Amino acid sequence: MTLLALGRPFWPLFLHVFGAMSLFGATATAALLAWAAWRRPVPVLARSTFWSLLLVALPAWVIMRADGQWIYSNEGFSGDNDPSWLGIGFTVADIGLIVLLVSTGLAYWWQRSGNAVAARVVAGLTTLYLAALVVAWLAMSAKWN
Amino acid sequence: MLAAQWLLAFHITGGFLLLGGAVAAGALNVLALRAQKPSEIALLLGLVRFVVPLIGLGALLTLVLGLWLVHHDGFSYGAFWVWAAVVLWVIGNALGGRGGRIQERAREEAQRCAAEGDVSTDRLRELLRDPAGNAMSWGSGVAILLVLVLMIWKPGS
Repeated sequence: MTLLALGRPFWPLFLHVFGAMSLFGATATAALLAWAAWRRPVPVLARSTFWSLLLVALPAWVIMRADGQWIYSNEGFSGDNDPSWLGIGFTVADIGLIVLLVSTGLAYWWQRSGNAVAARVVAGLTTLYLAALVVAWLAMSAKWN
Repeated sequence: MLAAQWLLAFHITGGFLLLGGAVAAGALNVLALRAQKPSEIALLLGLVRFVVPLIGLGALLTLVLGLWLVHHDGFSYGAFWVWAAVVLWVIGNALGGRGGRIQERAREEAQRCAAEGDVSTDRLRELLRDPAGNAMSWGSGVAILLVLVLMIWKPGS
């Protein structure tokens, strides 16, 4: 992370990266729990998926996104001719909120109803979002343009 | 794209796997602590085994590519933030490994209890709330977080 940090204020970058890494971990946890339910549909998996998304993934998303915006403002980007990596990062982040909210809602429904379809949709959505997060961090750290 | 950009991208990938994996393992442990039945505890702690290879790969990528980048970018290996990060990396991984072994014992005990009527025992509760085991696991997380602080702050550079 050496080049990434040079000449930038500490807090916004630290919180942005920490939020993104925690978001990845929380989404991976939710995906793992939801996939595990495919083979063992027990209530504890539904409950755990819901709380992982609500208490870890969503707060981590807020930290990541808010501090991303802080860095964006500090570095004087205007929206005109912004680099591609920035667009990829914002797109994945903003679509990601919808994916997370839908997944959290479905996990709640799964917890209440025990519906296996909800579990499978949560597993699929969180896995897709994990893949999108990988693309976003590669684009942002390697500065794809 | 420059080789250095790819090095950095994969170094950061290692960071995501290491810290993200630590978050996932921590979340599964907290969920296991809150679970009621031994069968649930065994299931949740059993899922940590899928996270461990990601943490191992992340640990390897951060160290190897990190040291490579220090050389590539012209930093000194004697700089405080470099050697302190390496020391914290070693401490974090050692504590995580030790804490993980206690959690593995808890998982085995939970599995045994699940097979014998799914009733919790004092031994299982003791293992789950083992102060040394929990301190090592949380200490590991703090050490890895401090590595991230050093990577971004770079005091003295």
